[in-house]
Amino acid sequence: MAETSDAMRVLTGRKRDRRILQGMLLLMGAIWLFPIYAAIKRSLEGGGTGNYTALFTDPVGDVTIYDTYLNSFIIAALHAAIVVGVGALAGYAFSKLHFRGKEALYYGIVLCLAVPGTAILVPLYYTIREAGLFDNYLGVALPEAALTLPFAVLLLRNFGDNIPDSLIEAARMDRAGHWQVFRTVYLPLCRPALVNLSILCVMWSLQDFLFPSLLFTDEKYTTAAKAVQSFQQYLATSPSDIGKYNASLVLLAVPALLLVVFGLRFITAGLTSGGVKE
Amino acid sequence: MTTTAPGPAGTASAGAGPAAPRRLPGLRRAGKAGRARKAKRIDGPQQRGMMRTALLFLLPLLAFYLVFYVFGFVFLARTSLQRTDLSFMDPESVGLENYRLLFTDDRFIRALLNNVVFAAAAVAGALTLGFFLAVVLSTGIRGRKVFYAVFLVPSLMPVALIASVFGGMMESRYGTLNETLRSAHLDFLAGHWLTEPGLAYAVVIGIFVYLVGLPIMYYTADLSALNTSLLEAAVLDGASFPQLLRTMLFPLMRTTHKTVVISILLMSFRAFEIVFFSTKGGPAGGTEISGTYVYNYATSPGPRVGYASAAAVVVLLLALLLSAIQLRFSKKSEE
Repeated sequence: MAETSDAMRVLTGRKRDRRILQGMLLLMGAIWLFPIYAAIKRSLEGGGTGNYTALFTDPVGDVTIYDTYLNSFIIAALHAAIVVGVGALAGYAFSKLHFRGKEALYYGIVLCLAVPGTAILVPLYYTIREAGLFDNYLGVALPEAALTLPFAVLLLRNFGDNIPDSLIEAARMDRAGHWQVFRTVYLPLCRPALVNLSILCVMWSLQDFLFPSLLFTDEKYTTAAKAVQSFQQYLATSPSDIGKYNASLVLLAVPALLLVVFGLRFITAGLTSGGVKE
Repeated sequence: MTTTAPGPAGTASAGAGPAAPRRLPGLRRAGKAGRARKAKRIDGPQQRGMMRTALLFLLPLLAFYLVFYVFGFVFLARTSLQRTDLSFMDPESVGLENYRLLFTDDRFIRALLNNVVFAAAAVAGALTLGFFLAVVLSTGIRGRKVFYAVFLVPSLMPVALIASVFGGMMESRYGTLNETLRSAHLDFLAGHWLTEPGLAYAVVIGIFVYLVGLPIMYYTADLSALNTSLLEAAVLDGASFPQLLRTMLFPLMRTTHKTVVISILLMSFRAFEIVFFSTKGGPAGGTEISGTYVYNYATSPGPRVGYASAAAVVVLLLALLLSAIQLRFSKKSEE
C-alpha cells in the first residue's frame, strides 16, 4: 500500500473525526473477518485440530490435500507460461511494429475481455474433447490462457507503448532483426510487467473452479478450487464430518493466501496498470 | 498507426493468416483481396516485410483466438439452433426454437435481471463503502495496512471458497451467524437465510458487496497519486471531513469510478461461483444469474446443450456489447 501524503493525513486532523473513523473501521473490519472466524470455528467442531491433521494423513475420495495443491500449481504454472509467452510476442507487435489494421485488430482482441467462461463452456467442452485433452493439465491451462490473453495484451501494450521507440530503433540500426530486438531489448525492459502478469495468471488459475470442474473427469486431477465442491460431496453430507469439511476449506485457501501474502505488490501493480479485468 | 480507418477488412487480412481454418473461405478470400489491394497501393517491400514480421509475432495469439473465440462463437451459434447433448452426436436441427423457449422462460429473464441487480448493488457498495474505506485507509489511520489486507484478501481468494464459507455460515440451524445471534440473545434476528427468497437474495447481494476489495485497491492507487494541494487549501478553509469527501474527493475520483463500474459489470457475468456455492440459484431460481443458468443447462443430462448454447449466445452478446461500449468510452476519454 502506498505511503500516505501529509495532505491526506490533514484530512482527519481533528481528534474527534479520527476517533469516529477508527471506530467505524474496527466495526467494518470485524464484519469482514466474521466469515473467516466462522470457517475456523466450525473447522474445529467434532475433532478439534485433529480435523486438520486427518486431512493431511487421509485422502478425501481419491486425492490428498497435497495432490490438490500440486495440481493447482502445475496448471497455474502452465497457464502463466503460455500467457506470458504468447502475450509478450503479441505485445511486441502491438507496441513496436507498424502494420495495417493494427488498431482494429487490437480492439477486436481487447473486446474479448468481456467473454465470460460460462458462455463459451459448450464449445470449449467440444474443442478440448476433440483435441484429446480431457484429463490433461494442458486441457485446463489452454482455455484459461485464452480467457486471460485479452487482459495480457492490454497490460503489455499499456506497458510497451511507454518503452521509447528510440531504443528499438537504435538496435535496428545495428542491423538486429526483430526477433533479436524482441529478445535482447524488449523482453528485459518488459520484465516488471511480465512478472506482474505471471503472478496474476497464477492467482486467476488458483481461483478457477469452472474449467477444472468441467474438463477433468478423473478425480486425481482435482485442484484446490475444485476440491471445494468435491470435498463437500464427501464430507458435508454427514454431520460428524462437517468440522472436517470446514477444516478442508481453510486448508484449500492456503495456496491463494500464500500467493497474496507474498505477491500482493505485483498483483496490485498488475491490476492497476492493466485496467479492468475482474 | 500509419493508415487510417482500416475497418473490418484490415482486421481480416491481419487475422486470417496461414492459421485460418478451411471452414472460413469467406474470410480467407477477404484476406487475400485485402493484401492484394494493399500491395498495389502502398509502400514497397519494407512495409510488406513489416506486415509479415507482425504476423509472425501475432501468430500464437491469433491461433488462440481462432480456436477459442472465432471457432467457439461459430460453434456456439450453430449449436444454439440444434437439439443435442454433450456427446454432440446426431444433432437435430430446430431452427430458432431454443431462442423462442429461452425468451418465454421467466427464469432466464429473471437470471439476466438478477445480473443487473447484483451488479448494481455491488456498484453501489463500491462507490460508497469502498470509496469511503479507501479514503479512510489513505489518511494514515492506525492499523491501515492490516485493515487494507482484511478488505482486499477475500477478493483475491477463489470465489468458490468464499461463497462456500458464506453458505455454511448462513445455514439456518448450525450456521455460525445464527448461533452467534442466538448466544447474544438476538434470536429474533436469526433467519432462514438460504431458503427464504428475500433473505437468500440479500445473502447473494451481501457476498457481492463483501468482495469490495478490488474497488478499494483501485481507489487507493488513485488516491496515492492525487494532487493534494487543493485538499490542503480546503482543509485550511475549515472544510469538514464529510464535506471534503463529498464535494472534493468523490468528484476527483471520476476515472476510477468508471473503472470500478465497468469492472463490476463485467465481473457480474463471471460471478457464477458466488451463486453456485451459496444459494445454488435457489430457492426456486430466485437468485439465479446468467452464469448458473447456462452452467446448469449445459451440464444437466439430456439433450439440453442446444438450449444452453442459445442462452450462452445471448449472454455473450450482452457482455460483448458492454465491452464495446466501454472501449468507445475509454477511447473518447483519451482523445
